[in-house]
Formats: sequence, structure tokens, C-alpha cells
Amino acid sequence: MEISVKNLEKYYSEKQILDIEDLVIEKGKITGLIGPNGSGKSTLLNIIAGLDKDFYGVVKYDGELINKSIYKNMTLVFQKPYLFKKKVSENIGYPLKLRKVDKEEIKIRVGEIIGRFEIEDLKDKKAHLLSGGESQKVNLARALVFDPKLLLLDEPTSNIDPESIKIMEREILRFNEETKGTVLIVTHNIEQSKRLCDNLIYLDEGKVGF
Amino acid sequence: MDYIYDGFKEAIKLLLGFDKEVYGIIYLSLFVSTTATIISSLICIPVGIYLGIKEFKGKKAFSRTLYTFMSIPSVIVGLVVAIILSRRGPFGRFDLLYTPKAMIIAQTLLVTPLILGLTYSLSKSRGKEIEKIGITLGANKRDIIILTIKELKVDLIVNIVTAFSRAISEVGAVMIVGGNIKNRTRVITTTISMMNSMGDYPMAIALGIVLLLISFIINSAIYSYGGED
Repeated sequence: MEISVKNLEKYYSEKQILDIEDLVIEKGKITGLIGPNGSGKSTLLNIIAGLDKDFYGVVKYDGELINKSIYKNMTLVFQKPYLFKKKVSENIGYPLKLRKVDKEEIKIRVGEIIGRFEIEDLKDKKAHLLSGGESQKVNLARALVFDPKLLLLDEPTSNIDPESIKIMEREILRFNEETKGTVLIVTHNIEQSKRLCDNLIYLDEGKVGF
Repeated sequence: MDYIYDGFKEAIKLLLGFDKEVYGIIYLSLFVSTTATIISSLICIPVGIYLGIKEFKGKKAFSRTLYTFMSIPSVIVGLVVAIILSRRGPFGRFDLLYTPKAMIIAQTLLVTPLILGLTYSLSKSRGKEIEKIGITLGANKRDIIILTIKELKVDLIVNIVTAFSRAISEVGAVMIVGGNIKNRTRVITTTISMMNSMGDYPMAIALGIVLLLISFIINSAIYSYGGED
């Protein structure tokens, strides 16, 4: 999914947070969104995810304005994971359940992704009782299970152990390679952006740098 | 002091002897309050969740009005229902006054602002985050309401029990619309009130013990369920 942003302006009270004239996030690529704290990265991600509609300008998804079908084909992984008070396997299967996927098919696909994230020992545990690293892996697995066309990631690997980071980066790359899904990742880690990203966007005081 | 001791002795006798009148009163109390709480919960929980996460004009004024109605005196509710259901009232032709149905209507109206207000407040503070996650995973409005109910179920159950406690312990509304008619509309609270004014303490004490037992059982069940969850 290609994202094009035109004349985007976002204000909080009277302060301008975003001022983007023209920005394109290429289809099928992993794009890194970097910049200092308070530069508007998370705000931009929320706008693209359709969670924040209070802005001026136009955001298009493969040439279309946001609609129900686009909502169904994208997802956002937050920095602080929120997992439902259900088992890990039920959490991961939830987006498939929403899409009316057959129960047997859900079981298979959840099993596969649990294997890929190496969290087989967690599948029957209550998700809201997991540690930070475990939660974030489950959070990403839940986002990837339905093969979204657009994956938005807001610092998904901050404050987690190196082994979990390795697994998550591997799965983001695999997702992009296998499904050709577009990825937009906010990160403060330059090394991580080098490992993952095809393109980089630098945001400073709400404006695109390069 | 003897009369208190005798009252307790007599009360235990009534309860253990499965006195028909006492158990009839207990049954009607539970039936009326449970039905009212269920009806109100079925309506107010989805509506409260929806209003809590939705932004709309006049939300602040709505909140204040709702919170005010949460503490509405039961006699006021009883009076309003009695006027509406009385022979000359708009629903007089249904002949509902002084029946258990009228008592259910009154208690439903009494607990509705309470369940709606508590659910609304809960959804306002915690529903937004759940809604956000739901949207990012592809949930529609209906899915989000169901998801929020499931996520907040322990708190919602506590709210329901709070409302049930208000219903079963109130005396004003059921006294006005039920009339405390023997074997027909007499419930625990109206009986205790009547027996007290008559100086007949054994049955009042017996029913008081039952009220406390109901409260204890419900609270224990909730705490053990909440702990497990």
C-alpha cells in the first residue's frame, strides 16, 4: 500500500505539530521515521493509522481516502503493548476472528506465527501477565497474523532484550519480503534503521528533513 | 435486652423452619431486584460503553446530569412511577400499580442511572485505549463495544452488583408502587420497616440476617471471580 501525504498540518491547541507539504511512503518498502523526541513522529503515525482525524490536509492509501476496507488492511503496533485479558493464542487470533476466518484456519495460522516468534511456551498463558519483551513479541505477532498491507510500528523494540529484538526484526523483514507489505517504523535506533529500512524520513519540528 | 436475644432466637427458628411467608418475601425481593438489575444492565452497559468512548457535543453537561441522577432518592422514583401507573396516569389502563411488575419498573428506573453512570465513567477512563487497539486490529463499532465489555468485565460486574445492592436494599420506591401487600408485594425491606413499627422484631431480624447473607454471598463470589481474573 502506498501512502501519500499532502499539505498535512496538525495543531495541538495553537501549537503546530506537523507541517508536511508532500510525502510519499513507498509501497512494499520498509521506511524508517526518525527524528528527535517531540518532532511529531507518533502523531504522524496516528494520523496515517486513522486514529487521529483532527488535521488539515490529505492522506491517501493507494490513491484512496481512508475507508473501512483500508482500516481492515492496516495495523499499528504501539510502543507500549496492550494485550487483551485472554490467552496469548486468543490474542494473536483476534484479528483473524474479526475477519471471520474459519476456526481451524485460525488455529493453524496462530500456531505458525507462534512458532516463528518462538513463544510456544507462552501460548496458553494469560497475555496481560507477560513480561515487557514477551508482550511486545505477542503484540507484533498479533499485528502480523492477518498479513496487513500496511504495518505501522511505533518504536516496537524499545526497552526489550536483544534476543527479542533479533526475533522481531527478523519477522518484520520476513513479513515485508514474503507479503510485500509496506512498513513504516518509528525508531530512535540508527543501527536498527540500517538493519531494517530501505528508506529513511527525518522529521524535525513537524517538518520532513530528507 | 431480652427482646433482642429472643428476636434472634425466633429469627433463626423462622429461617431454619423454612417459614413459608419469610421465604416468599425473600423470593420476591430477589426476583424483583434481580429482574430490574438484569433489564437495566442489558440496556445500560452497551450504551454506557458507547457513550464513554464517543466524543459528542455537550458530553460534559451529559456527564454532570447523569452523575446527578445516580443519587436520585428512591422515593422520588417511586412517586414518579406511581403517578404514571395510577388509574388517572398515562399507563393506568395496564393496572400495574401495587403489583411486582410495578416494583420491577420502579427499581429498573432507580438503578438505570447508576449502571449507566458507572459504566460510562469506566468506559471514559479505560475504553479509549481498548477502542484504539480495536481499530488498529480491524474492529468495527460493534466489535469494539463487545471487546470493551469483555476487557472490563470484572469492573462491570462490580458495577452490576453495586446496582443490585441499591435495588435490594431500597425501601422507598417499592413501598410506594408495591404497597407492601401481604403475599403479593411484600419484600424484605418493606417488611423490616413494617415489623419495626409494629415492634415485631423476630421476622425483622430474620430478614435482616438474610439481607446481610445475600450481600456477603454476592461480595464473596465477586472477589473470588475478580481475583481469578
